[in-house]
Formats: sequence, structure tokens, C-alpha cells
Amino acid sequence: MPGADGADPVAPGIADALRDAYASEWARVVATLIRVTGDWDVAEDAAAGAFARAAETWPRDGIPRNPGAWLTTAARNLALDRLRRRGVEADKVREWIAMEELSGRAGGPPDPADLAGDALGGEPDWDDRLRLVFTCAHPALPMESRVALTLRTVAGLDTGEIARAFHVPEPTMGQRISRAKRKIRHAGIPYRVPTADLLPERLGGVLAVLYLVANEGYLASHGDALQRLDLSAEAIRLARLVVDLMPDADEARALLALMLLQHARSAARVDAEGDLVPLPEQDRAAWDAAEIAEGLALLGSAAGRAGDASREGPAPARPYRLQAEIQAVHVRARTADETDWRAIVARYDALAMLADSPFVALNRAIARGMALGPQSGLDDLALLEASGRLDGYHLLPAAQADLLRRQGETDAAAARYREAIALARTAPERRFLERRLAEIARS
Amino acid sequence: MEYALFYAEGADALPYDPAQDDVGEWVDDVEARGVSEYGERLRPEQDATTVRVRGGEVLVVDGPFTESKESIGGFDVIDARDLDEAIEVASKHPVASFGRVEIRPFVRWPDAAPGSRIVPPGFADRAVEGRRYLMLVVVEPGGERAAADGRPVEDDGPEAWVREMDGRGVRLFGEVLRGPADATFVRRRHGEVLVTDGGFAEAKEWIAGFDLIEVRGGLAEAIEVASKHPMARGGAIELRPMWPFDVHEDHVARAGREAAERGVRREPAASEVLAEVAR
Repeated sequence: MPGADGADPVAPGIADALRDAYASEWARVVATLIRVTGDWDVAEDAAAGAFARAAETWPRDGIPRNPGAWLTTAARNLALDRLRRRGVEADKVREWIAMEELSGRAGGPPDPADLAGDALGGEPDWDDRLRLVFTCAHPALPMESRVALTLRTVAGLDTGEIARAFHVPEPTMGQRISRAKRKIRHAGIPYRVPTADLLPERLGGVLAVLYLVANEGYLASHGDALQRLDLSAEAIRLARLVVDLMPDADEARALLALMLLQHARSAARVDAEGDLVPLPEQDRAAWDAAEIAEGLALLGSAAGRAGDASREGPAPARPYRLQAEIQAVHVRARTADETDWRAIVARYDALAMLADSPFVALNRAIARGMALGPQSGLDDLALLEASGRLDGYHLLPAAQADLLRRQGETDAAAARYREAIALARTAPERRFLERRLAEIARS
Repeated sequence: MEYALFYAEGADALPYDPAQDDVGEWVDDVEARGVSEYGERLRPEQDATTVRVRGGEVLVVDGPFTESKESIGGFDVIDARDLDEAIEVASKHPVASFGRVEIRPFVRWPDAAPGSRIVPPGFADRAVEGRRYLMLVVVEPGGERAAADGRPVEDDGPEAWVREMDGRGVRLFGEVLRGPADATFVRRRHGEVLVTDGGFAEAKEWIAGFDLIEVRGGLAEAIEVASKHPMARGGAIELRPMWPFDVHEDHVARAGREAAERGVRREPAASEVLAEVAR
């Protein structure tokens, strides 16, 4: 952290410090406040108030030595004031003050870590943020609310940002989030990391939320932009948090690896005009080497742990690991032609065994078309089309068009491109398909 | 925290297998944990009677308020640590393995006496002194607080009804439930516990609360009691007789014996009861 108490309050440094603090401390402050007050709205308001106070006082007094502790203390004081004014939570406030006296830290703000593990005695000393992540991803909440609540409460995005990210009106998103908070309170959804027997199944729910956020970031489902890098960045940050807090969770590491390996290519996936650049045409030098190295390293360490089958039960289902390995095959190839498509097909075969998903079937067909020749892929895609499970999804005709193009069947490819163009959901994808169509028309 | 558990088949019900219906073990488990307050099985849906009051007239039909797959087959009131414990308890109930269990929190009134419970202490041991019905208070789309017979809305609170029925010794206990947005469904399939949110559709009717009543005058009195409930005017009241059984009896034998009772109404036909009352 730059700066020190009372020293060098230069505005740009302060702005950076505030931004850093927001990114690294928001979830911690909110999570601690929720645990102590039991009230999500009080906690969020107090955290927001603490950051507002920091923006006011840090330029004048300098950046505190421990911004996290400063913010937590400021938020606690704000929450205390509010609870005192309300008068109903008198017991809670007394308990809290008693706790502070016990911790007895003279001469500095109390470390929030000192407050951990008391009120909920008997549990392992989990980080508050982990409680928050698990509560936001509780299966009794609708999936769309889990995603929204995670982005709001853990990532600290405001309602407007989340509404824009998912293309819903802000009041709708606001309602969705407040309804989720109401259900947490009314239905008694615990603020707790699940017990060991529930952990594997509940961790899956947490990862599913982060995966959805990352997916929307990687390939936006609508709008003018192909990718939403803000969402990708949040997903990576949250996945990193889960990995930091639960270093033994292999699927969490694999999911983070998957996100990093996809994100590493983001700069090369669009050209200067915002148009889509397909994988074979991407400038591999523009891929982010550091993210690739981190992703591969995570995958390596997850692989090292994969031998311990006892922890994950008899039939370990590792969908994120398989998907991350597919990305690893892509990033390891120095050129598109060097891509080991057979290795990719093997992963999709395994994924198809895990889940009967039409999207897996689509990608598997494409991979088989690349590994075994276009006709293999086209045969698979014909079956998939006949199943009707991807009706209206633009990437099905787009995949057919691409394999037909590779096979030299120009007219059939053109017809499929037109179909895909009519269904495409983002402008960059539509422009890419139109470009392909123009190319084969010329050839 | 107290919850109502409602047992139903649900839309994706599997065939009923009596061999899997080890409800005795479940009852032993929840009693040992001290989670259970009270629970009862209800007679099959053909014994339901649904009461509505429209324009001052009491309308009664044989059968439940909703189509059969969602009709409730039994209920429990539990006091669990939190929703996770309620989910665990629900997931172990035999119905979760072929049907579904709905978990509904109660409304907690700010002026409730500390430590008070939905089910009065010692209730399970109380002798049955009449015929017991579970009265499901149902909100119907468009009907909620509609005061269909033109009465002012302030008459719609159930307080007067509760006072009257408590005074008559008819109402044993009951409470208002949180709305469907706060409901949680639990199923068990292939050994996996599936938890989903209520998935509430605005256009559907839903259970807003219940009361357990005990009447000496049979279905006729139960209908009279139900028709006086303010929600009979804006929604509907479903009356369900109990279907007690020995939870430790061999469940396969019991299912075989009871099979004959399914599909045959044991309650008098509502129209006959009404005609009798009119005479």
C-alpha cells in the first residue's frame, strides 16, 4: 500500500489507494459487518459510508497504514450509530462493545480478524468473506439472484452496473437483489460456510455462480460488445478469493485456471474495430503470457492433487478441470495448425459423459470436425440439429457453416452463414459471420 | 427458527415405492434431535373440501383447491437452527425421494412472546376430542383481500376469527406463513439432494397460512368455521381431515392395507352437508 499515516497525500496516489482498497477490502468490510450486525442493508450502507469517509479524510490526513482496518472500524462505528438510533438491537450492540473491550487493543484500530469466530462458536475460523460467498450462492435463492447478489455484495458492484451487465432495467435488478436479501432474512438462510458434509455440493453452487459471471464476460449474451471484460475481471477476482480461502478445492483452482486462460486471449479476440478475431487468426503474441503461466500453473497443481480421490468421492466430476485443460491445449499450441485437436476431443468426450449438455455436444462436434475431418463434425451437428435442443442458437449454424467452408461446400456454407447471421446476438459476432459470408462468396 | 414442511408429489414425482417409505426412522430422528413440534398425515385429496364465500353465499366443493400433483399429503411444524437444518430434515423425509417437500417459514410477529411456539407445549399428547381438520388458507390470484362481498377491507384481518374460534375451543393452533418467494423446495433424486427456490408464478394460488381445528359437529361445523374466516371471501379455505397411523408399523403392510382407501371419498359430500344445514 502506498503512503503512510499523514504522509504524502498526493491526489493520484490517494485515488489509487481508494481504488485498491475498494477492490481488496469491500467484501471483507461488508462480510464482517454482516456477521456482527446480522443485517445486510446496515452492513452495506455502513461499508459504503466508510469508503465515502475515506474519500473525504484520506486526502487530508493521508492514507492509513492499514486501510482495511481503518475502513472496518469506520464502518463499524457507522453501523453502531445506526443500530443505536434504531434501538431494537440493543443486545447486539452491548455484545459488540463487550467484544471490543475484550480484544483490548489500545493505540490502534482493532484488527477485524480479532472478531472472527466468536458469535458462531464451534466452527472452523473461516474468513467472513467465505461465509458471504456461500450465503450469496445458497441454492434456496434463484440462480439469477445468486449471481446478482454475489456481484453486489461480494464484488461491490452497484445495482446500476449489474443491471447494465445483464441488460435488465435497474429497478428490476434492485428488486431482484432486495428480494434475495429478504429471503435470506425471512427463510433463515444461514450466514455460514456449510459443514464438511455439505461442502462439496455447496462449493459447486458457488463455482457455478462464478462460472456464469465469467461466461457472460467471455461471450456477452447480447449487446454491442463481444466480451465484458469488467465481468471477466470480477469473476477472476472472486475465483481468486475462493482459491485463496480454500486452497485445497481443486475444482475452484481449475475454474480460476479456466478463467485466466480465456481472459489471457481477450486482447487478441477483437480487432481495433471491436470485431471478432477467430482463434486461428489471433495474434498469439498478443496473448497475456503472465495469465497463461498462472493458469497453467494452477492446472498443474490441481492435477497434482487430483490423485487424492478419497476427498471427492468415488466418481469425481471435474467439469472445470476438463474445460481448463481444453483451454490449455489451445494456449500451448504455437500456431493454430499445431493444436492437438485429438486431446481436445478426449476432454469433450469426458465432459459429454459428465453432463448431457447440448453446448458440450456442439463443441465436441466442432473439435471432432477439426480432429477427424469436417464430415465427422457435420454428422454430429446434424444429429444435434435434429434433436432440436439448440433451436435458435446462432452458433449451431455457424459451426455447420465453418465445417462446410473447410470442406469446400461453398453454397451450403453460405446458407448456414445466413441462418447464423439472422440469429446472432451481438453485433461483433454478426459482423464476423457477414465477413465470412462475403469471403466465400468471392472465392 | 420455525418452519412448516408440506409434503406433495410435485410435477416430477416418481412412482411411490412403499419399501422406501421408512417414515418411522425419520420421526425417530427428528424427535431425538428435538426439531419436531408436530406433524400429521392428511387423508387423500378426495377427502378435501374447499370452502369459498362469494357475494355472501357459501360455496363448497369436494376436492382440493388445486390440481392433484401439488395437493398436500401431510405437514410438519419443525423448529430448526436455520434453513440448512430444515433442508437436511426435509431431504431425509421419505416423500423427498419420490415427491417434494416444501419448506415455508412462518411470519414472526414483532410482539410475539419470547420463546413462544407455533404448536403449544405438550400438544402432541393431548387427547383428540372431536374431528380434526387442517384448514389451509389459500390466496387466489386476483382474489387476495378483494372483499368480494363488499365488506370494508379492515374486516379482513383474521384476529376476530381467531378470538372467536379460540373461545369456542375449535382452533388448536395456526399461523401465517411467509409468501411463496420465501419458500424452498427439497427433493432427493439418485442420492442427491436438490434444493430449489419457490419459483413463484404470480398467476398461481398459494397457501398463506393454516390452522388446525377440532370440531364435534363434523364436516358441517368445519365448513361453518371455515366460511367465517375472512380469507374465504377473497380466497379459499381447504379443509383436510387427518389420516393418523402408527409410524412404526411395517410400512409396506400399511401401504397395502390403505391402498383401498385411496380414491374413495370418506367424507360426506359437501352438497349433502350443505343441504342438511339448510334444513
